[in-house]
Amino acid sequence: MTNRIAELRKARKISQVELADGVDVTRQTIISLESGRYNASLLLAHKIARYFGLTIEEVFLFEEETT
Amino acid sequence: MKNWFKKTVPFVMFAAAWALILAAFLLGERVPKQISLALFTLGGLLLGFGAVGIALSRIHVSPELLKEYERGEKDERNVAIREKAAMSSWYWTLYMLWAVFMAIQIFVGGLWGVAISVVIVLHCAFYMVNIHRWNKKL
Repeated sequence: MTNRIAELRKARKISQVELADGVDVTRQTIISLESGRYNASLLLAHKIARYFGLTIEEVFLFEEETT
Repeated sequence: MKNWFKKTVPFVMFAAAWALILAAFLLGERVPKQISLALFTLGGLLLGFGAVGIALSRIHVSPELLKEYERGEKDERNVAIREKAAMSSWYWTLYMLWAVFMAIQIFVGGLWGVAISVVIVLHCAFYMVNIHRWNKKL
């Protein structure tokens, strides 16, 4: 799972702290999400997508695992 | 009411702790050693909890810092970290208990081996009880 959080945030000139405040998580969670170390829950994914005014699919990119 | 209760409890604990310790001193050798030890232990525990509670109630935290603290508490990544840490701790405790169990069986034996077996069974039983509890909840 990859995401466009950093890209969307930078395009809109929003700081990590502002995004964290907006979706009610810590800044460390935003850092982990952006670096791909942590995958957001469905609830947080929904909050982040709504914060950017987009759908979950537009923010979070699900990549099918190839075997 | 709840707030008043929360504020009062540490002071009650602190007072009760001193009462217990004082009782242990006053009763001296008139009571069995175990009772005296129990009074001191309970007094010490209450003294610790009471003192910490009073100290925490004296600390004035700004609303922003309090909000940040509360957010950190329910932040989903922090919750996930705590759960993973708890799970790892459970396994490590089990490995250590097994190591102690083996060492006792080899070098000591007797009732200590039985005691550590009971602890291992309880450790696993609590885990299974909680699995069942959460299985129902989620």
